[in-house]
Formats: sequence, structure tokens, C-alpha cells
Amino acid sequence: MSRPKKIVLIGHFGVGKTSLIRRFVENTFTKDYKVTIGVHISKKEIHIKGDTPLTLVIWDLEGLDDITKMRTSYLLGTNGFIYVFDLSRPVTYENLEAELEYLKTNYPNTPTKVVGNKMDLVNKAFIEENNGIFTPFVDYYVSAKLGSRVETLFTKLAEALI
Amino acid sequence: MTQDEKLKLIKDILLTDDRVFVSHIEQKIAKLEETINQKKALSVKVDPIINDKLDDFIKDIPATLGPTITETLKKEIKNSQDAVVEALFPIIGKMIKRYIQHEMKLLSERINHQLNNTFSFSWFFRKAKSKATGLSESDLILQEQSNTKIEQLIIIEKGSGVVLAEYSKTKMADEDMVAGMLTAIKSFVEDAFIKEDQNLQYIEYDLYHIHLQNFSSYYIAVVVSGAYNIIYKDKLENSILSFSTKHKIADVLNNKTALTLKLKDFFKNE
Ligand SMILES: Nc1nc2c(ncn2[C@@H]2O[C@H](COP(=O)(O)OP(=O)(O)O)[C@@H](O)[C@H]2O)c(=O)[nH]1
Ligand SMILES: [Mg+2]
Repeated sequence: MSRPKKIVLIGHFGVGKTSLIRRFVENTFTKDYKVTIGVHISKKEIHIKGDTPLTLVIWDLEGLDDITKMRTSYLLGTNGFIYVFDLSRPVTYENLEAELEYLKTNYPNTPTKVVGNKMDLVNKAFIEENNGIFTPFVDYYVSAKLGSRVETLFTKLAEALI
Repeated sequence: MTQDEKLKLIKDILLTDDRVFVSHIEQKIAKLEETINQKKALSVKVDPIINDKLDDFIKDIPATLGPTITETLKKEIKNSQDAVVEALFPIIGKMIKRYIQHEMKLLSERINHQLNNTFSFSWFFRKAKSKATGLSESDLILQEQSNTKIEQLIIIEKGSGVVLAEYSKTKMADEDMVAGMLTAIKSFVEDAFIKEDQNLQYIEYDLYHIHLQNFSSYYIAVVVSGAYNIIYKDKLENSILSFSTKHKIADVLNNKTALTLKLKDFFKNE
């Protein structure tokens, strides 16, 4: 059994980090919004390629409007990042490129998946209109509410870790 | 003797005495006046001289007496170090203590705030133990905590919070999650104390004492139930220290199986 992997979700307030984790770990979703303060940790064991069991320890950090102000000690030893933004709130992706650049510079060689969440609130046409903003960076369009692509997101990230 | 004669005699006696007495006092007053005046006259002349001398004296102290005083002090301190320490200790101790108390208060406020909001340890441990022992959660809360017992041991990688090895007599809580939470709390607290080389060494939570012992790339968390006091802490600290050195833990950090075996071996009698 390989050692557990530390996954950290980052992104602005209210983009759905906690919801994505709950969807993935407990397969639930709630509409009420409880702000995460500090850190919340959850865990899930998954099976990837060839049935290899892998433990993911998932760190849910409080949202921040500025990624550079993040408590870096929480990010030490991270094996994989999930960067989340909210497709329905432009303010959460207007600095997408710069924030991802910051991650890449400070945590080189750490696999990172970029996701636009709340896909259920926008339509395909919206994504196409904003092709230029999203396509270069986004790995998955997901919805914690509907559960779409959430499993794929975590599994693909996990695969990138071994 | 007639009445008049008698009266005169008495008057004479009394008046004579009066007069002698008055003149006596007058003399004394005169002498006093004289003394005072003389002193006044003298002091006008002498005072400036004395003042000058005093000034000189004070000016010269460092040169004349200074070395002697320093030497004496040095000797005194050297010869009675214990006494000096004894004397200074309460003062310095109080200062440090007050500072620490203040910091700890701030810290515990912050941590409590954080714990209430985020790290649900009590719930966590109690639920797990309740499940494991079949006792109700409230019974567990009330349960006497008389005998000290190691409940769980986790070797945790610093920073990532990844579990390197774990050993527990009765499964307390999921070690991966506990390790993550502990590491998050540790990071938070250690960030709060900006100074380097400050390590969080202890967390008290509900019925549990979580002893944290730091090594360079990992730390060991010991979940203890029952009374945890300075004597126990000392004992625990020493046994973990000798565990880590005797078993050359640093060499097997990446081998979970080997590490777990060593942990189990060492602590099964604790
Ligand atoms: N419609 C919709 N709402 C979502 C989705 N994911 C999260 N939310 C809502 O967005 C709010 C913030 O979610 P939360 O997970 O707490 O965000 P966090 O601050 O990033 O952890 C909550 O009210 C959620 O119910 C989604 O996929 N679709
Ligand atoms: Mg949250």
C-alpha cells in the first residue's frame, strides 16, 4: 500500500470547494453555505488503474481572494492541487492565469487540476463564448450539485500522482 | 508672726525662686540663640565647601571606587551564584510567565475559535471511541480519567501531515485525519508564534492529551488518556527519544511496515 496523498483544494470564497469534497467523499450536496474556517480534512480511499488502492487525504482550506496570502505552511508537502473557480461568478476567475502561474512557480512539479464549478448554472453556449478565457487552463467543468465529473476529477488527479 | 509677716515670708520665698528661675532660663535662651547664630554664620561659609567636596566626591566615584565596587560585585556574584539566581529568578520568571500567560491566552482564544469552527476533535474521538467500546458518548465524557494510558501513537511527516506509521491499542480515530488535523493545528499555532524553532508540543482536548514530540522531518503524536502531568510527560518524552534513536527511525521513515512494527514493539509494554 503506497503512502497517502495530500490533496489541497484552493480557490476563492464560495466557489464550491467544500461542496466538491463532500460530493466526492460522502456523495451529498447541500444548498446552505457554511464558510470553512481554517482547515477541514477528509479522507477517501480510491482504486485506480489496475485496482491499486490509494488513500487521498483532502485538505479543504478557507477561501481567499488572493492566493498569495494563503498560509503556506498548510501547503507543505502537497501532492496534488485542485484549483476551483465558480463559472457563475467572473470575479472568481478574472485572475485565473496569474493565480495558476503563482502555483506553478511556488509548487513546481505538483500536479494541478483546474476546474470550473457550478456547471449547472451556466450553459454550453456560455462556455463557448468564453472559450478564450477557459480553454487554455481548465481541465474539467464540474458540478458539485449534480455530481457531474467530480469522480473523474479526483480519479484523474490521483492517477497523476503515482 | 503676724499674718502680714507670714505672707511676706512666703512671697519672698516664692519671688526669689521665680527670679532665679527666670534668669536661669534667660541664660539658656541666650546660649541657644548664640549657638544658632554661630551655626548660621558658619554654615554660610562652610556649606559651599562641603557641596563642592561632595560634587568632587561623586564625580570621582567611578574612578576611585568603581573598580572596587565592580570587583566586589563580581566576586559576590561568583561566590553566591545560587543566591543571585534565586533572587533574580522570581523577577525574570514572573516577567516570562506573565508574557507567556498573555500569549497563551491569546493563542487559546484563537485556537478555541478555530477548534470550534473547524477541528471537531471531541466529536471525532468520542464518536470513534463510543463505537469501539459500546459505551455511550456521555458515559465516556463522565468516565474517570485516573489511569494514564497511551491510546494511540502516530508518526507523522512534518508539513504534509502524512502518516508514516501508526499504532493503537484500541482504534481511536482515523489516523490519517487526525494526523492532518494535528498538522494543520501545529502549522497554525507555529505560524502564530513567528519565532523560529518554536514547536507546538502539547494539545489538550477533552479527555485526551495529545503529546507532540518533534524531530527534524517528522513528529510523533501520542494520544494519552488519563492524568498527564509533568512527570508522565518527562517519562514519555524520554521513552520516545530513546525509541527514535535506538531504532534509528530516520532510516526507515519510508517503510511503513517496518516502522509500524518498531512502534508496536517498543510501545506494547507502555
Ligand atoms: N448551483 C450550484 N451551487 C453550488 C455548487 N457547488 C457549490 N454550490 C453552492 O455554492 C455555495 C458555496 O459552496 P462551498 O462548497 O461552501 O464553497 P467554498 O467556500 O469554496 O467551500 C454553497 O451555497 C453551495 O451550495 C454547484 O455545483 N452548483
Ligand atoms: Mg469551504
